[in-house]
Amino acid sequence: MGKVELISGNRAAAIGAKLSRVQVISAYPITPQTPIVEYLAEFIAKGELDAEYIHAEGEHSAIAAAVAASIGGARAFTATCSQGFAYGFECIAQAPGYRVPLVMAIANRTTGWYWSLQPDYSDIMPGRDLGFLITFCESVQEILDSIIQMYKITEHEKVQLPGMVSFEGFYLSHGTEAADIPDQAEVDDFLPPRKILPHVVDPELQPTEPFYLIEPWQHTIYRHIFERTLDRAKGIVEEVTKEYAEKFGRDVYGLVEEYKTDGADVALVSMGCLTTAARRAVDAMRSEGKRVGLIKVRFYRPFPSEKIREIVEREGIKALGVVDRAISHGAGMGPLGQDVASALYSLKSRPNLIDFVCGMGGDDVNVDDFRRALNRLLEIADKEGVKELEFIEHPMKPERMLKTFENKLIAPGYNSCPGCGAILAFRHAAEILGKDTVFWYPPHCLGVANPQTAAPILLANFAAGAAYGRGLYRAYKIKGRKTRVVVFAGDGGTVDIGLQSLSSAAEAGESIFFICYDNEAYMNTGIQRSGSTPLSAWTTTTPVGPRWRGKREERKDMLEIMIAHRIPYIAFASPAFMRDMRGKIEKGAKVIDNREGLAYLHIFAPCPTGWRSDSNTTIQLARLAVQTGVWPLVEVDHGVFRLTYKPKELRPVEEYLKLQGRFAHLTAEEISSIQKIVRERYQKLLEMDGKKLF
Amino acid sequence: MSKSVIEEFPEIPIRKKDVLTTEPTASWRVERPEINLDVCNRCWLCVDYCPDGVISKTDEGPVIDYDYCKGCGVCAAECPTKAITMVLERW
Repeated sequence: MGKVELISGNRAAAIGAKLSRVQVISAYPITPQTPIVEYLAEFIAKGELDAEYIHAEGEHSAIAAAVAASIGGARAFTATCSQGFAYGFECIAQAPGYRVPLVMAIANRTTGWYWSLQPDYSDIMPGRDLGFLITFCESVQEILDSIIQMYKITEHEKVQLPGMVSFEGFYLSHGTEAADIPDQAEVDDFLPPRKILPHVVDPELQPTEPFYLIEPWQHTIYRHIFERTLDRAKGIVEEVTKEYAEKFGRDVYGLVEEYKTDGADVALVSMGCLTTAARRAVDAMRSEGKRVGLIKVRFYRPFPSEKIREIVEREGIKALGVVDRAISHGAGMGPLGQDVASALYSLKSRPNLIDFVCGMGGDDVNVDDFRRALNRLLEIADKEGVKELEFIEHPMKPERMLKTFENKLIAPGYNSCPGCGAILAFRHAAEILGKDTVFWYPPHCLGVANPQTAAPILLANFAAGAAYGRGLYRAYKIKGRKTRVVVFAGDGGTVDIGLQSLSSAAEAGESIFFICYDNEAYMNTGIQRSGSTPLSAWTTTTPVGPRWRGKREERKDMLEIMIAHRIPYIAFASPAFMRDMRGKIEKGAKVIDNREGLAYLHIFAPCPTGWRSDSNTTIQLARLAVQTGVWPLVEVDHGVFRLTYKPKELRPVEEYLKLQGRFAHLTAEEISSIQKIVRERYQKLLEMDGKKLF
Repeated sequence: MSKSVIEEFPEIPIRKKDVLTTEPTASWRVERPEINLDVCNRCWLCVDYCPDGVISKTDEGPVIDYDYCKGCGVCAAECPTKAITMVLERW
């Protein structure tokens, strides 16, 4: 017997993975999926789960690593959504070809276009054609169960294709419900360890290789095999989910779930969490004597065409309304609508069809909306050949108290946390760089804090901050403009996922100003370790427990990395040393104004929320970091290295560390090893002082 | 002249940058900084260090925009003459 707990959908996914005894977890933060990989890190740190944990530098790598772990025969798990799904797409597409039974959790969030953290299916839908099994969940319980079921299905001898468990971000990922958590022993009994088949690459076990290069004539044949495999998987889905339901006492299983379809004249076809509101609309209208019903598509791939046809024919349904949380632009329909229409094609007497596109970017679709939709279906039930597209929209004018500012380069009123070091750095940059500047933001806290500036701010994709900078710079160059192009990035967007495009723009000598504000973790997604997180620091993906004691590695040295690029200007600054920082912003601006190449400025940015420090210690920490040698103020001006501030004597690092909760677990021994690293590095920099490096 | 597709649908978000419009953040505050101008030495460090840019330089001394101050306390912590004190906000 399991136990009932109040948990979020993300925790349910993490518990599902833990109960499935996953062996390799590959993680990269993205809202709203992040808590899944945070919970898994916590399970490992506490010793509750014995698994390898990969802190990847972006989704492309996170998904690649998970695919590779599965190729090697491990039970692998990863989770992503939205931009992360799009960024990792080529690796996602690789998985079916390698026939890996990898399971991915997707906490849906809209992809790009107009930014939102909220859900629709525009992220997962481009992945529908790849050969994955895809299930959509309606409840927290269903998420937990689906992860376990999905491993059993994908690892089935007759399947061996990857799977996605999809659920709406925030509504389900952060929404909390009571869920029955099964016992480990019962799950072990249901889901045995992964069986190693001949395509697993494990030379000590079997000398085989799934070859990646096939002749053109083989491609169509192989696609045919995938299609047959997925078609046959329908029976396996029914069988495995029924077995699970019987074993664990669930009433939800199978490819589809029918809800009050008995004698229905019209029915909605829905997926995911919108189904719950649709159920309530059906309940209300049934109580008024209206013959309406609901078909919930649980498995979207393989698509349950036969089931839908069977229900329509059995009940004599005259009109179907598809609830589509995505649209295939230019096709006049959403993807679910297309699949339903395609399923109905072979029927002699086809029902009328309205595709209701709704719920984009997290727009809530309520019971009244579904009542209206069902009434529309009743209106057209007796017509002939109706196939329409309708949008369920909710225009509103939010009432907010707003104030206006004239002749200001940056206005107060941004959503950064009190005491934020990042916005302090940005505020000074915006004031110094002026109106004839365009800022690119790869995603970071300030993208959400949303400061209003006289200079335009544009949102870049995470891995491509410097690339967006290059393109805009070239446009201005050919148009003869003097506009400054500034990429303002966080540490993740610089040292991890952003490093490739930064390196390329630096090497190519693009005259853009790249400013990194460094708060030493992914703070926008909620304190996950980055390549810039210092040794031993607690973060949510480097938790402290019996097995882990914060981050185990030293941070990346961006000074050395940028020196290796031989760019005209490199500097490290701290907002406590305001004149020094402002001078470095001005110098960087001059370098790009003179078209000399890329200028790089790295600013220390205390984060009270992520560092577990008091909001009024931001400047104190920024000062202590310099005085202790943790953050030396340096610049490399046209190859000449200089420490721009040299304390007579370094203060002990403990003074800096003790103000921050993220270091609260450190022992005297650990502090002294940090002290040693800091002193040695500072000594090295002192030796470089005044030297021409390139 | 016919309108372009960009002008045709004014719902598409394009922001004019000559006037900046923002929402006050006063309600975030637990404590409010109060400046004793008799003690203030006009060093203007608070103006530089305020993360939210809500302290301005005037002839009378530093002035806090209480519509936007979030009460982080950086100004009070950094004031060299201790002219700023944090006072519990009673909303």
